[in-house]
Amino acid sequence: MATSVLITGGAGFLGSAIVDAVQEQHPEWVVTVLDLAFPSVRKPNIIYKSCDITNSVSLNTLIDSIMPDVIIHSAGLVPELAFRYGREQRDRVFDVNVNGTRNMLAAAKRSGVKAFVWTGSCTAITDDMRHQYRNIDERPSVLFGPGDYQLIPSVHACIAKGETPFVVGDGENLWDVTYVGNIADAHVLAVENLLSTGSAAGEAIFISNEEPIPFRDFCLEVWKNFGHFPAYQVYIPVSLAYVVGYLAEGVTWVTGTPTTLSRGSVFDACGIRYCTGEKARKILGYKPRVGIEEGIRISCIVSLRKFLNPSILP
Amino acid sequence: MVKTTDVLYYAVHVGELRSIIQWQTWHQAVHERRPDQEAPSLTICFEFLDKTSRSFSAVIQELHPELLVPIALFYLILRGLDTIEDDMTISLEEKTPLLRDFHNYVEKEGWNYAGSGPTEKDRELLVQFQNVTEEFRKVKPAYREIIKDITLKMGNGMADFCQNVEHNIDVVNTIKDYDLYCHYVAGLVGNGLTRLFVESGLANPVLLDRPHLQESMGLFLQKTNIIRDIKEDLDDKRRFWPKEIWSKYVNNFEDLCKPENREAALNCSSEMVLNSLNHADQCLFYLAGLKEQSVFNFAAIPQSMAIATLELVFRNPKMFEKNIKITKGEACRIMMQSTQNLKLVCEVFREFTRKIHKKNTPRDPNFLKISIACGKIEQFIETIYPSQDPKSIIQEPAAPIDPTSKEAKDQAAAAESKSDLVYMLIAVFGTLFLISCIMFGVAYAFGARFDVAFSELTRGKLSKPTDAGAAQSIIHKYDRGEL
Repeated sequence: MATSVLITGGAGFLGSAIVDAVQEQHPEWVVTVLDLAFPSVRKPNIIYKSCDITNSVSLNTLIDSIMPDVIIHSAGLVPELAFRYGREQRDRVFDVNVNGTRNMLAAAKRSGVKAFVWTGSCTAITDDMRHQYRNIDERPSVLFGPGDYQLIPSVHACIAKGETPFVVGDGENLWDVTYVGNIADAHVLAVENLLSTGSAAGEAIFISNEEPIPFRDFCLEVWKNFGHFPAYQVYIPVSLAYVVGYLAEGVTWVTGTPTTLSRGSVFDACGIRYCTGEKARKILGYKPRVGIEEGIRISCIVSLRKFLNPSILP
Repeated sequence: MVKTTDVLYYAVHVGELRSIIQWQTWHQAVHERRPDQEAPSLTICFEFLDKTSRSFSAVIQELHPELLVPIALFYLILRGLDTIEDDMTISLEEKTPLLRDFHNYVEKEGWNYAGSGPTEKDRELLVQFQNVTEEFRKVKPAYREIIKDITLKMGNGMADFCQNVEHNIDVVNTIKDYDLYCHYVAGLVGNGLTRLFVESGLANPVLLDRPHLQESMGLFLQKTNIIRDIKEDLDDKRRFWPKEIWSKYVNNFEDLCKPENREAALNCSSEMVLNSLNHADQCLFYLAGLKEQSVFNFAAIPQSMAIATLELVFRNPKMFEKNIKITKGEACRIMMQSTQNLKLVCEVFREFTRKIHKKNTPRDPNFLKISIACGKIEQFIETIYPSQDPKSIIQEPAAPIDPTSKEAKDQAAAAESKSDLVYMLIAVFGTLFLISCIMFGVAYAFGARFDVAFSELTRGKLSKPTDAGAAQSIIHKYDRGEL
């Protein structure tokens, strides 16, 4: 019987990239997508099921009816950038990302899946989960790609706002931004591993493009693809930005609007975000297929089309 | 001789002058040569070493006694080979067999060569080459074999290259050709030196299993020099930049130095720098395998100079006008930092990598690739010398803090600066408050009607009345209690 794969969050940004990768590399697998809502244009040969993973009863019923061999759990709530540093969505985020994952694990255990791959995040540094069956926790770093509704659009938005000349910090902090297609590849590799040798079982593996660059340079490259070059550069010391962020948070607190600038965003923009890809290379045989330069180019072309023609926006 | 321009330069670059003084007064050789115990022919060899190489002579002469003579002779032999290869006055029929058999001549008693062109600057070395062969015959057989092997390979590589030049002007077409040429003239030296280091027991034998690291040591130096010497080489009708790279930017190689093509030439040189920069992290990795101090210095100084040179030429239009080089003051500082330990050499690499990164511009077609190359070097340094120590982070809460320790002092200093900040904020806001009070007070004294203004504001009228009459009528209304 053909391997049955359940992909949660399969209608989302990362999830749909995983669906593509699975279909491309294993067309014989039966793919079921589980999500809250579905895209208007559905992919062929995919079974779509609607379910809220925070509801364990309906989740269990659904899993029992599908009886998947493999679960790729990539559903998760990533608050929009503006809300990322606020508190409004915190409970909901916690509910989906923690309780939802707990429900998924319980359901997986009950139905006896062979492999469970969970998309974590590079922001999770500790992992205290112990499971009986084969599972992998994959931790991608910051993601971007075509259809990305967060990173590239917000970097692009800086052009219109005239914010491009400003550099917070020294502009030397390295980020390992990862192309979404590469992460999807890593998920397929993880499933293949679990179904064969299982050497990756129980491991938390960091996935990245292995091309750390200063975050500033990522932005400059995106702007370059949109034909924009900052005319000059102004360096803002981290401490000053931090104070401004603090004040902005105060304003937010008073007015109740989402923040654009806060201590959290300053911390992220000046932070160092990269990891070693050695484990992924050794255990999964993972190698980023799309380089960051090519990845940015593809993503910007897709974004550019959207900006020029807003009617095709989802 | 001191030039006036130098005096002026160091008058405004006191830091560099300081480095020169420090290097010349404080630098101590790890090992010193013992000229009194040397045979006359060896003394002549060292004289030639001084004449043929300004930069290498000093570091070679400080080498461990075990390797001092073999490496000095190795250098002179390769220099001899190079002199024959470069000499345009020697015919190909004469040159080719000379290059291919050079490894035999170096052991032949009394061998020398007087056929070099009269203007060749190292002609004298070949004329008196019997001193080199005499000393070479005394070298330990194990070292001799290594040196002969490299000489054979390099001689053959050079002969092939010369034959190609005779038939075709563009010998270095692809990047692969470029790498191959650099392999013959520099990568092989890296291999030979590594074998000498390991044979003498002064380096980690693991280096032998990593040929790409040895190769990178040579290629990083050679490629950097090839970039820097563009103007000089072009004037002498030599071309080492691969066509695969320059043809993307200009139609003819000679166009690189034309002022109207400056932007294209700079972008082209960026790609050359990028190509060289990709070897940098492997050079640091290699240096980690060298244990003995003099061997470390010998290998590290040229590498540090190379990264500094790379920074100097990166997006520097002057390289197409004249031959540029790093200043003596900077060279002394780099030498001081490169003759201690790997950590300081990594600091040098990080410093110049960041400078390269600072000069990088998004308008450069290689912008992101250079950024990635710089990131790789930083990441490599971070893996061997992490800026965060995981042990200290975990143990921090458990360890009782000694009030005299550095951490405690740091903490106290941090707490103090925090309270300073609070006081400063109080002072700033206090002053602002006081000034506001005075302003309000003065306004009040001049008859400002805050009560009216406040009630108008609460009614949503944020802008000031259009004319004085309207303002007056509002006040009247207010006073008569119409509101």
